[in-house]
Amino acid sequence: MAAARPLVTVQSLEGDMATDATPTVALPDVMKASIRPDIVNFVHSNISKNSRQPYAVSKKAGHQTSAESWGTGRAVSRIPRVPGGGTHRAGQGAFGNMCRGGRMFAPTKIWRRWHRKINVNQKRYAIVSAIAASAIPSLVMARGHKIETVPEMPLVVSDSAEGVEKTSAALKVLKQIGAYTDSEKAKDSQAIRPGKGKARNRRYISRKGPLIVYSTEGAKLVKAFRNIPGVEVANVERLNLLKLAPGGHLGRFVIWTKSAFEKLDSIYGTFEKGSEKKNAYVLPRAKMVNADLARIINSDEVQSVVRPIKKEVKRAPMKKNPLKNLNTMLRLNPYAKTARRMSLLAEAQRVKAKKEKLDKKRKPVTKEEAMAIKAAGKAWYQTMISDSDYTEFENFSKWLGVSQ
Amino acid sequence: MTTVPGQLIWEMVKKNNCFLVKQFGRGNAKVQFSKESNNLYNLNSFKHSGLANSKTVTIQPGVKDQSVVLATTKTKKQNKPSSLLHKSSMRKEFSRMAKAVSNQVADNHYRPDLKKAALARLSVVHKSLKVAKSGAKKRNRQSVRTPCRK
Repeated sequence: MAAARPLVTVQSLEGDMATDATPTVALPDVMKASIRPDIVNFVHSNISKNSRQPYAVSKKAGHQTSAESWGTGRAVSRIPRVPGGGTHRAGQGAFGNMCRGGRMFAPTKIWRRWHRKINVNQKRYAIVSAIAASAIPSLVMARGHKIETVPEMPLVVSDSAEGVEKTSAALKVLKQIGAYTDSEKAKDSQAIRPGKGKARNRRYISRKGPLIVYSTEGAKLVKAFRNIPGVEVANVERLNLLKLAPGGHLGRFVIWTKSAFEKLDSIYGTFEKGSEKKNAYVLPRAKMVNADLARIINSDEVQSVVRPIKKEVKRAPMKKNPLKNLNTMLRLNPYAKTARRMSLLAEAQRVKAKKEKLDKKRKPVTKEEAMAIKAAGKAWYQTMISDSDYTEFENFSKWLGVSQ
Repeated sequence: MTTVPGQLIWEMVKKNNCFLVKQFGRGNAKVQFSKESNNLYNLNSFKHSGLANSKTVTIQPGVKDQSVVLATTKTKKQNKPSSLLHKSSMRKEFSRMAKAVSNQVADNHYRPDLKKAALARLSVVHKSLKVAKSGAKKRNRQSVRTPCRK
């Protein structure tokens, strides 16, 4: 932890004795304790169970009848039925949780486990955590307190605040230290509770304002401050987690009087020596000396040993289909080029030949050519006739229809 | 004064704080917003959070006549909420305001990562402050009620 203890200025009030130097107090070590929202939440949920009153339904409810089952054979269910006649109730089912007028299922008993035991060290850890969180502006703001006008966190006011007797003076004090906006917020939030709670003596709800922590027993400020909406008052010796972390949420806006602030070291102890008031209690130590992650990551010690950033991106090459991509094909099969060329040439040749042939066919025949063809046909016929001697075969002449 | 590192605060604050708006979407499709004034994108993220970062930028419409307030937080006044902000109220033309914002946010190495967000926010805030020109009449889109005849 830091060698020099950081100082917190004490906000002086109007009417204080003017001194040359601004009074300061050392920051108590409680405010540097580790902050554990999980512990605070757990302890809060358990502590808040300790103010419950037992409730149960009447022991006799649903059993104040002498109903008996009719047994089988009457074509009705075997549930106990109210005896007698002359009234509607007679013959109705009784006792069962499914019956009208019956008892509830598993009737509630007053011997439920209403209260919870919490380990004292855990309780202290939670309180210490809540105190530490109340010194951090971000957490106080995150809880919803309006602290934009507050001069410093933790907010410590001079001891003359403990002597405030009137509520009007108390309001003035709140205005001077910039805590009035938070109490205003609480006042503006007053509303009627939704739900059944209205009928159960919890009619109004409002946000919480600042918690004022004083030290001298029977100080006047208790009565001066207690009627201001949202404001709560507590003695340092008897800090309560339900007030320090309402709802189990860290970061209550706490206003300390100077003497109360100075007492914190003796009540909760420091990192060097244990508490004076609590038996054998030492503050919980943080697991990490430096929780600043960015600082650790960017430190030379870490940066010098980490692997350098991989700048170039390695991509798997795209697989190309050699049947579609000629270059890939040539890489695989050098003969493909010749084969392709030959096939192309052959194709061209074929096309050319076909075209010539077609052209020739489509051209009209000239007279001479037609004559020549005719002549050739005639000549061929003549030779055929002369070459074949059909005269010997009667049949042929009969077929041909030649009458001789 | 002990300063708690931003990462630690963020871990405490990210799931539940009074600025968080969780009402949009659920599961994978959810988006969480945040209402801090020093959150430029109003997003619930560590980068934009005004609670967890010691250096933040606020761009808001100013109190009087169309000014834009540019504020940056002082890193050495982290536990003094009333003197936390460097505030400046700007009433220049847009390009000069944009110049000022990028100077204050990025060019002096304050939060270079927020430059785009700051300029975007400035643009939107400036647009929202524009007053409609006088003379042009708004068309009445509501049906005009005619008195019934009896």
